Amino acid sequence: MDSKGSACSNPNPNPTFGPSKLMLAFRFLRALSIVHRTTPASSPTCRGRRIERAAYASMAYSAGTSRAWSRAVLRRLHHRARRRAVAPRRLSTTAGNRAEALRRLVPGGAGMDYCTLLEETADYTKCLSMQVELMQGIVDSASSNGR
Amino acid sequence: MEAKEKNQFGSEKSHGDHINIHSSGTADFVTSSPILSASMVEAFFTPGLWNHHTSSCTMSFGESNIQTATGGVNRVPIGKPVAMSDRGMLPSPPLGEFPHSLPHFPVDSGFIERAARLSCFGCGGFRGISLLDPSHSVAPPSDASEDAVGAQKAELTALSLPVEHENIKGIAMNHKRDPTMSHVGTSNNESREGNLCEDGQERLTGSADAAGNSSSGDLGANKRRKATEEMEEEEDQVLRGLQLSTETTKDLAETKHKSYIHSGKNTKDNSEAAKEGYVHVRAQRGQATNSHSLAERVRREKISERMKCLQELVPGCSKVTGKAVMLDEIINYVQSLQRQVEFLSMKLAAVNPQLDFSIEGLLAKNLLHSHGGSSSAAGFSQEMIYPQVYSSQQVLAHAGISSMLNPSDAFRRTVNTEIPMASGYKETSLQVHNSWNEQLVMQMAYGANPPLNSQVISRKPDGFTMQKDRSN
Repeated sequence: MDSKGSACSNPNPNPTFGPSKLMLAFRFLRALSIVHRTTPASSPTCRGRRIERAAYASMAYSAGTSRAWSRAVLRRLHHRARRRAVAPRRLSTTAGNRAEALRRLVPGGAGMDYCTLLEETADYTKCLSMQVELMQGIVDSASSNGR
Repeated sequence: MEAKEKNQFGSEKSHGDHINIHSSGTADFVTSSPILSASMVEAFFTPGLWNHHTSSCTMSFGESNIQTATGGVNRVPIGKPVAMSDRGMLPSPPLGEFPHSLPHFPVDSGFIERAARLSCFGCGGFRGISLLDPSHSVAPPSDASEDAVGAQKAELTALSLPVEHENIKGIAMNHKRDPTMSHVGTSNNESREGNLCEDGQERLTGSADAAGNSSSGDLGANKRRKATEEMEEEEDQVLRGLQLSTETTKDLAETKHKSYIHSGKNTKDNSEAAKEGYVHVRAQRGQATNSHSLAERVRREKISERMKCLQELVPGCSKVTGKAVMLDEIINYVQSLQRQVEFLSMKLAAVNPQLDFSIEGLLAKNLLHSHGGSSSAAGFSQEMIYPQVYSSQQVLAHAGISSMLNPSDAFRRTVNTEIPMASGYKETSLQVHNSWNEQLVMQMAYGANPPLNSQVISRKPDGFTMQKDRSN
């Protein structure tokens, strides 16, 4: 392992990248395998929802608790786990108030001021895009390898 | 008193750029804080008061005034000269300098006060500020409470921050925008997480907010506010002067009345990010200097900075102008990302019911995608993956069902084996260079690594790596 670190250079052009992709990948893959193991194959929808929750959970854990949105996500997940409710996240952008729409989109956005909201949105977007990339990669590798 | 002040100035000046005005004024300021008036002496005190509040102020003045070495000495704000422990340093050589600059500045009590205060900011370039102080004989306060020093330091750092900016924002100490300040200050995260945008300005504002918040909590904050209220009129001048001093003393004289917009850019030493300090707003020429409007301007600046960051994040938004359209784009993008997550999770649920995924393959692909890695790395890693699959095909028997074996353990083992194997992939490791240490952490997080045993996990020959017996 150490040899890897010593051997590799650092081509990363973005040193201030947020949560590490690797950590995200590990967390998500682990959660994925757990979900696959624990849910019956007869309910793919249920499994899909669990995977989605796992995706958000791994995203939030990777981002750490220093972010308001990650805290909100974890809070929501923990509460959902107890109450077994699925939060509907259908949102519509009303031309009238974009800030409100954004608040609904970003977890934890309801209780913050506009400046913080923008900042959290940026971080949340970064993590979301990383998560989507990861999931897409998994699907691609699964589909390409599983001839 | 003047001599004493001058001495203080000198001593401070010897330290460097920062204006050491405040050192002497602390005690006096404390006592006379409510009485701040346009008198020069009082103006001088303000720096002392400031000093008061910033325990961490490394200004030499803090030390000179406070017999005891304050803890603030250690926490020198960025760009601040090292606090001098020996008060006695000094004076004559620096004093000689003062006279040159002095004539350039109006001996305005309010201005002096501002300058003194600003000098506390300890910006490296604030040579000019010191100009102001020596001209005014103000008895520096003898004591400086830790709070004062701390607040001062915060303000100092804060002041240095805006130097980068076109505008100086904030004004933690001068304005009674308590709600704004507190609001700003509470989001201390901003100072740190402002880096998100990798924007120096962002950090400045964030740190300024933090500073502002901390300053507002100071004991002497009220006193300072009172004092500043009275001086608000001259604030701009002082700020401008202060700002300019950062650049050069010469510029100070010239640009005293000009907007500081470009001045800050010259001082890089002040722009250390993530410093806690006040964000000082500088009223530009021709703009209202009302505290509310200044606060509004600060807020708008912050919002525009964040919007710029978001613009970079959202693909295809570089040419979009206008906040409304930009916001719409952002909202659409976030919505689309969320929908993608949902869709992909459904897909994952259906496609891979029982597989342990190849970390290497995923990493190679993902990281190659993200970092534009070379195709050779991809080919390399895949070559390594597939042979393993083929070699262990014979072993697997229970086609997919046996993977129910213990997927989580299998995953762990997979991770454990694949990471070492991946170590051979230098190209791959290139992509994950910064994550390998996390990988190690990840491994540790998995608990005791199960010994690599010869157990083979049967998998479908779909390219997923299989764990092979190490002895093979």
